[in-house]
Amino acid sequence: MRNMLEKHQDSVYAVQLTELTKVYDGRKIVDNLSLIIPAGEIFGLLGPNGAGKTTVMKMIAGLTQPSKGSVQIFGINRDDQPTAIKKLVGLVPQDNNLERDLTVEEVLLIYGRLFGVDQVKHRVAEVLEEFNLEQSRYKQVGVLSGGLARRALIARALLPDPKLLLLDEPTVGLDPDVRQDLWTIVRHLTDQGKSIVLTTHYMEEAEQLCQQVAMLRAGRLALLDTPAGIKQQVGKTGQALGALESMFIKLVREGDA
Amino acid sequence: MGWYAVYRREMLVLWKQIGRMGYVFSSIIFPFIYLFSFGLGLGDRVNVDGGYLPFLAKGIMGVTVMLNAFQQTAGSVSVGRLYFHDFRSVVLSPIAAWEVVLGLVLAGVMRGIIFGSLVFAIAWGAFDVGGLNSLAVAGLLLGSCCFAALGVAVGMLVNNPTDVSMINNFFITPMTFFGGSFFPLQNLPHWIAVIAQLSPIGTLNTLLRSNVWDSGAMWAAGTLIVLTVCFFSWSAWLYSRYSE
Repeated sequence: MRNMLEKHQDSVYAVQLTELTKVYDGRKIVDNLSLIIPAGEIFGLLGPNGAGKTTVMKMIAGLTQPSKGSVQIFGINRDDQPTAIKKLVGLVPQDNNLERDLTVEEVLLIYGRLFGVDQVKHRVAEVLEEFNLEQSRYKQVGVLSGGLARRALIARALLPDPKLLLLDEPTVGLDPDVRQDLWTIVRHLTDQGKSIVLTTHYMEEAEQLCQQVAMLRAGRLALLDTPAGIKQQVGKTGQALGALESMFIKLVREGDA
Repeated sequence: MGWYAVYRREMLVLWKQIGRMGYVFSSIIFPFIYLFSFGLGLGDRVNVDGGYLPFLAKGIMGVTVMLNAFQQTAGSVSVGRLYFHDFRSVVLSPIAAWEVVLGLVLAGVMRGIIFGSLVFAIAWGAFDVGGLNSLAVAGLLLGSCCFAALGVAVGMLVNNPTDVSMINNFFITPMTFFGGSFFPLQNLPHWIAVIAQLSPIGTLNTLLRSNVWDSGAMWAAGTLIVLTVCFFSWSAWLYSRYSE
């Protein structure tokens, strides 16, 4: 098992999805999706509502079992090591799912213990400082502002030091200044060698942060390129709206047609 | 020691909830009302070996154990899974299924023991009901294990937290009233008495009220152990197949 987990150090791919499919009540939410997400980059997963972005994230994280296909994380097949592989992945969900009765510090301590983090109190203190949460450590998470809750969610996900961070709509509903603040955190994480997959509705966010983006439509891969490549494809029509936003609207309209 | 991390998580949340007066009150109000209404209203009119009040106090302690170990555990898991989504922090962790279930069951056992003991302590203070022997303590532990393990399974199984109340209506409430908690089973029609005797609450009541480790007590303890193993295995299987 140790050899398998050490293998991720050499893998150039953070995530490899092969013919990934998820069916709910006879409806394909994710349809035969194959995708390679490079290590050490910020990868954007875009698409309209219902495109299957969150379901893909949940399948990568291990919250949702695929109906078909496989998920490999740093070269390790999730089916081979479903429990051990969880140490490699951190998930920041769309909604605030911190234990609402507990304080920020208690939430982090619990999470650290669940992941078997060594010297957990010391590590929690480090994370609280890193994310400017020291002033809020004794606050009940139920009363945190949207920005602080988002910081706490990211801090929690990073506490066990995962190699891959999944950010599901990380800045939705946040003020522009808080969003900028989180962008800085995300960029800083890649400097530390983390691989990041994020879903977003904000095209500007994807353009600013991502080295590569994949657009999903009806659970299928509609486009895979760099933001610069998409700009070239969009050409002049992209000047008014921004290249990604133009491509996004084009794909949504094609899907509706 | 993954189970201990899960257990500590559940206990920390429980202590926060106990800190709110309403939580403790709502956890014991139902048995409290039955204890005093039946105790004061029927105390000297029902003939039971050893007296009706000790019989009733142990029966209501059994009901309290069942309600708290089962309902609070099923509620915690189902609401955490389906409503607040905070159960994801457990699912995302690299802890094996049997350890997760063990941690949840032990927390359920604590819920059963805390509130069961509290209700019995009230009965002990208010009426002449005697103390608890080793069989009653074993019953308290095994009954809590059995109902907590069932609570984990139900919490993992339901698709809506309100479905737990359906399980209550069809299984827990009938067991509460027909399981021999309030009156001796021999007063019931034979076939109902047999079913009640075999039910988890029936076996728990047998153990709580036994005075010696005779064949009846051993059989009751064995039944609770077998049921606990079945519910535990079922819970671990459901958890290992967890998918949102």
